[in-house]
Amino acid sequence: MKKKIGIIGGGISGTCLAYNLSLYDNADVTVFEKDTVGGASTAKSAGTVCLFDDSLKNRYWDVRLYGFETYLKMEANEKGSAGFDNTGTLVVATNKQVEETIKTGIALAKAAGYSGEYITDKERIKEILPDISTDNILGAGYTNDDGYFDGTMISNYFAKEFVANGGTLKTGVKVEEVIVENGKVKGIKTSEPENYAFDVVVDASGPWSRFTGKMAGLDVPLWHTKAEAFFLSPPGKKLSYTFPVLKYPEFYALRSGDNIFICKSHLSMDLSNPMHAGQWDPDKLPATGGTDEYFIDFLLDQLEMKVPGIVDSGLVSSWLSYRAEPKDFWPILGETPVAGYILATGYGGNGVIEAPAASRDLAKLIMIGESTPLLENWAYSRLLA
Amino acid sequence: MNIAVLIKQVPVSNKVSVDSDTHALIRASAEGMINPSDLNAIEAALSLRDQQGGKVVVFTMGPPQAEASLREAMAIGCDEACLITDRAFGRADTLATARVLAKAVEYYGNFNLIACGALSSDGATGQVGAMVAEALDIPHASEIRSILHMLADNHQIEVLKDLEQQTYTLLVDLPALVTFQFGCNEPRLATLRSTRAAKNKPMLTVTNAELKIPSELIGAEGSPSRVIDSWEPQDGRKAEMINGNEIELAQKLRALLAKGDEA
Amino acid sequence: MRQGICIYAEAHNGVVSNTFAELLTAARELQKTTGEEISALVVASNSAKLCADVEAFGVDRILGYDLSVEHALQDDAIAKVISEILKDIEPSSVLVPASPEGRSIFSRVAMRLNCGLTADCTELLVGVREDGGYYIKHNKPSFGDNVYVSIIIREDFFPQILTIRHGVYNPAKQQSVRATYCDFSNMLSFPSSGVKVVSREAKAAVTDSISSAEKVVVVGKGMESLESLELAQAFADRIGAALACTRPLSDVGLMPFERQIGQTGCTIRPKLCISIGVSGAIQHTEGIKDVETYIAINTDPHAAIFREANYGIVADANILLKTFLEKS
Repeated sequence: MKKKIGIIGGGISGTCLAYNLSLYDNADVTVFEKDTVGGASTAKSAGTVCLFDDSLKNRYWDVRLYGFETYLKMEANEKGSAGFDNTGTLVVATNKQVEETIKTGIALAKAAGYSGEYITDKERIKEILPDISTDNILGAGYTNDDGYFDGTMISNYFAKEFVANGGTLKTGVKVEEVIVENGKVKGIKTSEPENYAFDVVVDASGPWSRFTGKMAGLDVPLWHTKAEAFFLSPPGKKLSYTFPVLKYPEFYALRSGDNIFICKSHLSMDLSNPMHAGQWDPDKLPATGGTDEYFIDFLLDQLEMKVPGIVDSGLVSSWLSYRAEPKDFWPILGETPVAGYILATGYGGNGVIEAPAASRDLAKLIMIGESTPLLENWAYSRLLA
Repeated sequence: MNIAVLIKQVPVSNKVSVDSDTHALIRASAEGMINPSDLNAIEAALSLRDQQGGKVVVFTMGPPQAEASLREAMAIGCDEACLITDRAFGRADTLATARVLAKAVEYYGNFNLIACGALSSDGATGQVGAMVAEALDIPHASEIRSILHMLADNHQIEVLKDLEQQTYTLLVDLPALVTFQFGCNEPRLATLRSTRAAKNKPMLTVTNAELKIPSELIGAEGSPSRVIDSWEPQDGRKAEMINGNEIELAQKLRALLAKGDEA
Repeated sequence: MRQGICIYAEAHNGVVSNTFAELLTAARELQKTTGEEISALVVASNSAKLCADVEAFGVDRILGYDLSVEHALQDDAIAKVISEILKDIEPSSVLVPASPEGRSIFSRVAMRLNCGLTADCTELLVGVREDGGYYIKHNKPSFGDNVYVSIIIREDFFPQILTIRHGVYNPAKQQSVRATYCDFSNMLSFPSSGVKVVSREAKAAVTDSISSAEKVVVVGKGMESLESLELAQAFADRIGAALACTRPLSDVGLMPFERQIGQTGCTIRPKLCISIGVSGAIQHTEGIKDVETYIAINTDPHAAIFREANYGIVADANILLKTFLEKS
């Protein structure tokens, strides 16, 4: 008797989970995506790995490593499938605290067999990134094993694989109702005429989770922080060097073809400021533009100080995305008070790198009922306290 | 050399819906961008100003939020802007729009040249430019590729125009209006610095209180054409779906094409 | 009351453009209901020869104005001449090709006469007012997904000048009809113009024009990469088809604008059309008409294109094309 699982959302979370579930013989998985696979929040994510980064805190190093290695294997299996641009990563230490985090990250990376070094020789840093200013920096961590991936390509790859394993993918289909009876999930209704019966329903809808949760009678305490990004065309149109993934506490940048993609880092946001964080409607996000005026000033000041060589880049385009996460910034995974209703959401901009480990564990939980320390740390129940 | 550039704010995406009563397109307020061929017009104007000196003033007719496009145009390099906005101007067709634009340009000052994009990406009528020229009783050259140079002490320009497999070199007396083909040049980009500076560049807001155009010549009243209905087209035939793995599909495709060749 | 359907006979290099025959079809259809006379407006150089060409198609009247060669592209002056002719003849409608020349001249005419000018219609229908007068409903897709609009010119703003895109109507068959000839050349002097042609030369040819090709491969957003386009070109070459694109590809500069089909590009009427990675949004599919065999390849089984095509293949085009090209 197969277990029928319906997943709401075809982004990195939904497709990765669907793939993991499809590896179990008795899983019957259907994914519902209202637009295109990996076309919403996932499409606007940078897909960076950042082996030395602290956005997950090194506490979850294993999660990051698992994600990285999953995609390296995907690439080894089918070149280009994960869209890996192996540019290398430079993480800049502007104070002692960041320096310590980077050095810890390097130790962890090396222990896992990857390269990493902490460079204090400013000339060397400038060799790696000629446009940088080495004033007021302590040093930088560098690895050339790192880079960034393409979340949309990865989502489509996972989707292709889970369908090949017998799953069903429905695109252009919007979920309109989650049917709950006596505190247990029964199925869903969509924009299509037929009803679907499910034993388990998973919310993988990211920034939409507050709305999806309401359909199941659940309060999902997600907040949206603004991820504002620009595409810059560097002076001279083409850079003469490979632009690495560049990380500062305030922003990060990476190359995108001949352009540079630059985005505000969310940990530098004042989350009690309604300009940066709130609860919004992701359907109202414009396809391009939508960045606040302050972002121009912010970027100008930051780049003038830190990467003056690209401050006079042309602005090609900009966009705004929402990072969805609860107040403690960790994802929300697993069981909820509604029996059979599972959450796989709140990845807060880190979905691409976090989804493989989280989905692996969630699939196991759903199929055989066995939990993991990761799921316990990121359980919905922690937010009810 | 004073150059006026007329620009239009157009929807970013095709996902617009139509008001069932007025049949007018409902434009999501957040999604507006400068019409692509207007960017080519701006580039040509700025190039000419860089060579000859003078200033470029960018105009647009629209709701108050069209200011964002004017600021963007000034970030790209235009010197001044004029926002033409008034509820009375709304729901106008190309003719009523052209009248208002012409009046606003006249009101603002003296211009040697008026530039705009050849067609807009939403309406794509390609009419407004030539209509403005007629309203101002000046010559025009539409859908040109480039301005080659100025002549005769700034009283003429030489332009290149492609038409029906021929490329023409035209001499046009100034003041004149020219419209630019999409993609005829590479528009320069705004920078962070120029975007910040654009906030402080001068922008004049002009309403009908200043232009004083009689009401029968503007808005819906002044529009000879009217949209009377809108609907969604019926589903056409459904395709016969062809299935199989890659090799089977390639074979079936080959067979279909061979069948077509015989017909 | 105004009477008569006037067709603007666009001409280039001494030859009447094939748009004339198409507009004549449109006019004859209107005439079925309104019973009006059809006249042709020939304002061009070498007009005598052009008037003879037009007469062979069969119109009731020919309105001629002979231009000198140096009057080419003097649209400010030509518009004045045409305005005077229209004021004299007082037609109820003027059919114009939706072409660069048509737009340029008749935009000025409309402003001059304060009359209605519509753009790029895909269908003309006749409506009747309470007083028995006829008016034309001009239908066209509006820029946006799946919305059609119907436009009319208000009664006080006639003549109705309607621009019609090349390819929407089939060319009319020639009919033998005796035409009355009105020569305006001597009645109206040619006004001064602020435009002068200094020189002209043949434009660098765009290889395999898509509007005349019998087989066309149309690539859409799903093929937005250099590798995919190379494959598509190889495929098109193999099957002897021209390569065209929808707007997203020319917007990003991957393909030239001359190859763009759709609302802001060309309308094509090939016998065979294979679209690859085209979603089926109305503003693209409106550029493809009357195709005998229409095959659509798209990865999305719900793509709107499958409502347009005769045959549909849901597949990754890159893989399919590679497989196709490997054999034969």
